[in-house]
Amino acid sequence: MPSSVTNPPTNFSLDPYTGTWTASQASHLLRRALFGPTSQQITDAVANGMDATVAMLLTPKPIDLPISYDTGEGVATYGQPWNLTPYPAGNVEATQTARIKSLGAWLMKRLNNEGNSIHEKLCLFWHNHFAAPLSVDSRSTLKYHQLVHQYALGNFKDFIKEMTINTSMLEFQNGATNSVYSPNENYAREFLELFSIGKGLQSGPGDYSNYTEEDVAAGAKIFTGYVIQGIQSSTDNDVTSVFVPVLHDNTVKQLSYRLNNETVNPAGQNEYANYVDIVFQQDEVARFIARKLYRYFVNHDLTEDIEASIIPAMASVLTANNYEVQPVLEALFKSQHFYDVKLKGSCIKSPLELLFSIVNGTNSSINFDLTTTSDMYLNLYGLGDNLGQSYGQPPSVSGWTAYYQAPSFTKLWVNSTHIKTRMSVAYLFTIGAGLQINGQTFKVNALGFLDGLSNPSNVNSVIDDMILIFTPRLLSTTQRTILKTVLTGGQPDFEWTIQYNDYINNPGDVTYSNPIKLKVETTLMRLLILPECQIF
Amino acid sequence: MALGSIGMPFVMNNIQLQTIQQKLFNFAKSAEDRVLIIVRLNGGNDGLNTVIPLDQYDNLVIQRQNILVPQSQALSLNQSNLALHPVMSGMQHIFQDGQLGIIQNVGYPDQNRSHFRSTDIWSTGSLDPYEHKGWLGRHFDDYYPNYPDDYPNATYPDPFAISMGYNVSETCQGLMANFSQAIANPLDSITLPNGTSVDDGTYYGSHMVYLTNLIDQTNAYGQRIYNATMAGNTLSQLYDPNNEVAKQLRFVARMISGGLQTKVYIINIDGFDTHSGQVDQTNILTGRHSTLLKTLSDALYAFQDDINLLGLNQRVAGFTFSEFGRQIASNASLGSDHGDAAPMFLFGECITSQVIGPNPVISNTVVNQAGVPMQIDFRDVYASLLKDWFLVPEEDIEPLFDHSIQYLDLLGSCNLGVEKVSKNKEGLMLYPNPASGMTYLRMNAKNRAYAMHIIDLNGNIVVEVFSNKHLDGEQIIPIDLQNIVTGNYLVVIRDGMMEKSIKLFVIK
Repeated sequence: MPSSVTNPPTNFSLDPYTGTWTASQASHLLRRALFGPTSQQITDAVANGMDATVAMLLTPKPIDLPISYDTGEGVATYGQPWNLTPYPAGNVEATQTARIKSLGAWLMKRLNNEGNSIHEKLCLFWHNHFAAPLSVDSRSTLKYHQLVHQYALGNFKDFIKEMTINTSMLEFQNGATNSVYSPNENYAREFLELFSIGKGLQSGPGDYSNYTEEDVAAGAKIFTGYVIQGIQSSTDNDVTSVFVPVLHDNTVKQLSYRLNNETVNPAGQNEYANYVDIVFQQDEVARFIARKLYRYFVNHDLTEDIEASIIPAMASVLTANNYEVQPVLEALFKSQHFYDVKLKGSCIKSPLELLFSIVNGTNSSINFDLTTTSDMYLNLYGLGDNLGQSYGQPPSVSGWTAYYQAPSFTKLWVNSTHIKTRMSVAYLFTIGAGLQINGQTFKVNALGFLDGLSNPSNVNSVIDDMILIFTPRLLSTTQRTILKTVLTGGQPDFEWTIQYNDYINNPGDVTYSNPIKLKVETTLMRLLILPECQIF
Repeated sequence: MALGSIGMPFVMNNIQLQTIQQKLFNFAKSAEDRVLIIVRLNGGNDGLNTVIPLDQYDNLVIQRQNILVPQSQALSLNQSNLALHPVMSGMQHIFQDGQLGIIQNVGYPDQNRSHFRSTDIWSTGSLDPYEHKGWLGRHFDDYYPNYPDDYPNATYPDPFAISMGYNVSETCQGLMANFSQAIANPLDSITLPNGTSVDDGTYYGSHMVYLTNLIDQTNAYGQRIYNATMAGNTLSQLYDPNNEVAKQLRFVARMISGGLQTKVYIINIDGFDTHSGQVDQTNILTGRHSTLLKTLSDALYAFQDDINLLGLNQRVAGFTFSEFGRQIASNASLGSDHGDAAPMFLFGECITSQVIGPNPVISNTVVNQAGVPMQIDFRDVYASLLKDWFLVPEEDIEPLFDHSIQYLDLLGSCNLGVEKVSKNKEGLMLYPNPASGMTYLRMNAKNRAYAMHIIDLNGNIVVEVFSNKHLDGEQIIPIDLQNIVTGNYLVVIRDGMMEKSIKLFVIK
């Protein structure tokens, strides 16, 4: 593996950052909090300052419902939501496939329309955390993603309670078949190991420092009694989790010394929530989730320095705010540590970060008829899948390996194949054919992108903006010169200004706009294939 | 030409003698030269409509009449109570040429009928849900532990595996990287642009070094693949230009013949998830499944023909797999649902052409959701391939699998005479071959009764060597060929458990 890091960050304080606030800090914040900030968003963030920008990013952004568009749907009306529509009687496969396609398009459309909010980026974080795959009933899958969205900026403790009895999770982790007659430990184990407190080092037989096998067994009993109703039903409008008292284990459950030897008394359908409260009394829960947030938003490497400083500081904010997510993110994004220059470019872009840094960063959105638009988004989904990240289908209950697998972490996103595909994507969306569906083409919106830059008639400004949007640490003078030569075709700077003004003064005239468009596309291609654009 | 002809008569005697000696006792040069082709039938192939157990046909009618191909049209496999789907004449040819093997009822305990999970299981060769490395990836990790650092290099200039298409193969996922390169078109050699990076000791610097090295490696492999494909050859006239699988296999033949030292090629065929429309309503011989089987069969036939013509037949072998078979009973949508075990095919000159395992037993009553029970664990097949084909020592194979391995004799026929042949195998070798008056069969018998026949390619018995003879230990069995005319034959050895055949060419 590459050499170990010898030049790490030096500031380990979660105290507020008070240094200079320029495009360097503002773009760093936006790149971490969004999939693909635009030039305008960076300009605004510089003007508004850190506090206002963080406040804006932490503002929730609502979502709408997925829409029926595929002919296989068969039940819900074209153009209408299917979330409360039963499946057909008999063979459900075509309907299920149609709904999965609708979901895939919906998820990608959400990322494309993330706006100024961290909300979508957090939804992916929590999806990776509670890494449930697609349900056999897409209404259940949808409810899972709605739950993720509902709590992404909310209270983690309430979130995990709801997730425990979410139908997709009950299906995924066998909660629905966990009963007093046949306890199934699957969810009880992942609840502790991956979702709440985390598995510590094994300190004895069945003892994982933060909990023991005894707690896993007790948890399984505590979680008994919930079943799923309406899966693929042709009569039920919705899929719901239902508590069936006779399936619940009504004994008193004894927890281990790791959880303070607490007992959990029979409490029927509320018992699971009481157990969550007990586990959340352990501060390790706050440290566990702080580490995950840190890895996702800052850097994968939890060094001794980080463990001794940032993680406990973040954990304190979490516990002081009863596990609300917003305050700890606010502290993080305003901290001195976050703006340590050594952390700029410490992550490799995930496939979705790569795709939407290009699509969103160029002001591009997909606006055709419903079917074409949906299929276009589905193609973006397919590209993400091809690159190793299919939203909605994490590879395992642990999520995507790049988010947790030492020592490579985010390097795992890119292998010899993916690097080719990543570059092909850059070609495809710029000088390539783009996505072509139903006679329509989707590529980057080169002219819209150009018009949105800070000073599009000035060639130097155009190049600097492009580099700022797509690279974390800018480029060498030589690379910048090459890009500028591509954009101007080797002409003097003023020629660009003349050409740009001609294009602006002749709206709709392709003889002026096309040469500009082609130049921007070619320059974007040359920029986006650089390794620097794989990092953020 | 001129140089070669000097002193030719003298040298030739020696060469001939040496060649014959080698052919007799050491077919394969070394495992390093060997290539494994993996054909993945994605979606869960309906084994019962691929390899049809004729002795169960009456009960198959009860279970799946709406998708079952007519017995009269199924393609017979000599002497076996088995037949192939009517569109699989290509694979029938390979079988008759002694280059196709069938393993019945392959699966794993407690079948998982999820595509994703079961594909993971087949790819990792493990039932452990936390195993992320592929079975070949773990094997490669053992031997090339620093991959991808320091690769390619002078000793290993080529990728270890190539996955035809856009995705790397999960079977090749190693600890640090995937050992396979995804190649959609080996002639499409784009050289990725690269820069230079200065490692300033930051995380950013380490990423830049990683990415620039990765791009260099990808370019280096891409250039080797391009050069090998350009240098390579393809001789078979059987490839159908409209058959996508054939196209990919033709590229594979070109890469191998062009000298690429890649050890594993993976071909992926989608579409086997035939819940509906498996057969056409009006014609049971057409439909999605028969189209897929024809694609597979035609492509493999052309490829095997090419490999034989290219003289690569001792170096190339392959197999097919699918994440599960389908349920015994069909559904009402002219399809079949996710099931359990299914047959695997093996192909290549070095296959001791055989059917391993009995036909599945089909009940005369429909049991809801019943699949074909597993009899042979797929991990035993993988382990045996590593052992027989790549000559990996057993002590290196067994730690790769979370399962106690039962080795099968799958690809041993090219290893006969090589020291590594273990005593407990029925390794078969025929010499001389081609032969005119006499030939000798060497085998390791397993203390049981055997029958041995010579059959022609129409399945007719031309010589009964013996029919019920108890044998144990290494045997050298003389076979008199006096009454046989020139042509291709199969020497078939059967016991109660299995049937093996070995190709014989008689010259008069």
